[in-house]
Amino acid sequence: MTRTKRHRIVFFDLRRIGMPVGAVTSILHRITGILLAAGVPWAVYLLDLSLGSSQSYLRAVALLDHWAVRGAAILMAWALAHHAFAGVRHLLADIDVGSRLQAARRSAWLVNLGAVAVTILVARVLL
Amino acid sequence: MRLSIFRFDPDRDRKPYMQDYELVPEPSERMLLDVLVRLKTVDDSLTFRRSCREGVCGSDAMNINGRNGLACITPVSGLKEPVELRPLPSFPVIRDLVVDMSQFFKQYHSIRPYLINDEPEPDKERVQSPEERAQLDGLYECILCACCTSQCPSSWWNPEKFVGPAGLLQAYRFIVDSRDRAGAQRLDDLNDPFRLFRCRTIMNCTEVCPRGLSPSRAIEKIRLMMVKASL
Repeated sequence: MTRTKRHRIVFFDLRRIGMPVGAVTSILHRITGILLAAGVPWAVYLLDLSLGSSQSYLRAVALLDHWAVRGAAILMAWALAHHAFAGVRHLLADIDVGSRLQAARRSAWLVNLGAVAVTILVARVLL
Repeated sequence: MRLSIFRFDPDRDRKPYMQDYELVPEPSERMLLDVLVRLKTVDDSLTFRRSCREGVCGSDAMNINGRNGLACITPVSGLKEPVELRPLPSFPVIRDLVVDMSQFFKQYHSIRPYLINDEPEPDKERVQSPEERAQLDGLYECILCACCTSQCPSSWWNPEKFVGPAGLLQAYRFIVDSRDRAGAQRLDDLNDPFRLFRCRTIMNCTEVCPRGLSPSRAIEKIRLMMVKASL
């Protein structure tokens, strides 16, 4: 049959496939993990800069005063909060806590909204 | 009622497309399958599977407005219009809403979905107590419609390595069956980074199961059994 591989297609359009709150939380867990990993070298650089000398400490402070760095710090605060909350949610599920559907939906919402709440608090401190 | 349906004929089309239909459902046409059956009388090229028309055979699994389900037990009332119907995501399309389920059943067969018991057969049958029988509730009802596996991101990325929620629910069904004697081998077979542990507890499977079953919970129980067995 010539129709096999040449014409064989698959419906796989993520924009058309519904994502329940658990799936959204899982996707965000991945994204925040990538963000945190990408942020590590910058955080180490800033720490190193702040510990070098009094001048370099002032440079680090000046850098943190920049709006773009503050924005990045707020983004990282969200990533850290979300990743930590989602990780705890996973650990609890692994010991049979909150793993039924209704509880899992609630905890997924809690993770997403909790991370936003932490981000707002951090933003209020930084801005 | 407006519908937008995924169409693809491999003998004629180079690409799939969405075809719009409009009809007024009769009072007796309460389920989505009823509407599809009538559409078929208007356009006999429209292709979909169906058999029992009451949620028992699992043939008419499809993606309904982004969510997998069975057309025969999906009420027409309450569906957002236009009702978008597509084949099960990630499964190769044979034609229109009909998909190739070979890979799905390959994974299902890989868990050896039958009782394994080499002990001498009793005269009549292997009797279970009511409590032992109750262990199978919430598991034996699976109709293998593939709604769960087709909506599972772990299955999307690793269909050949990850057993998938339906196969794992069935695996648990045999692990907890008091008449089965291969529980340890079954656990050993699943103790693999991909076959079982690719599940990320996203729970799309449990969200969409048209029978209200919980494959994610079965997977979790298998994991807990593995931990207990290793202690």
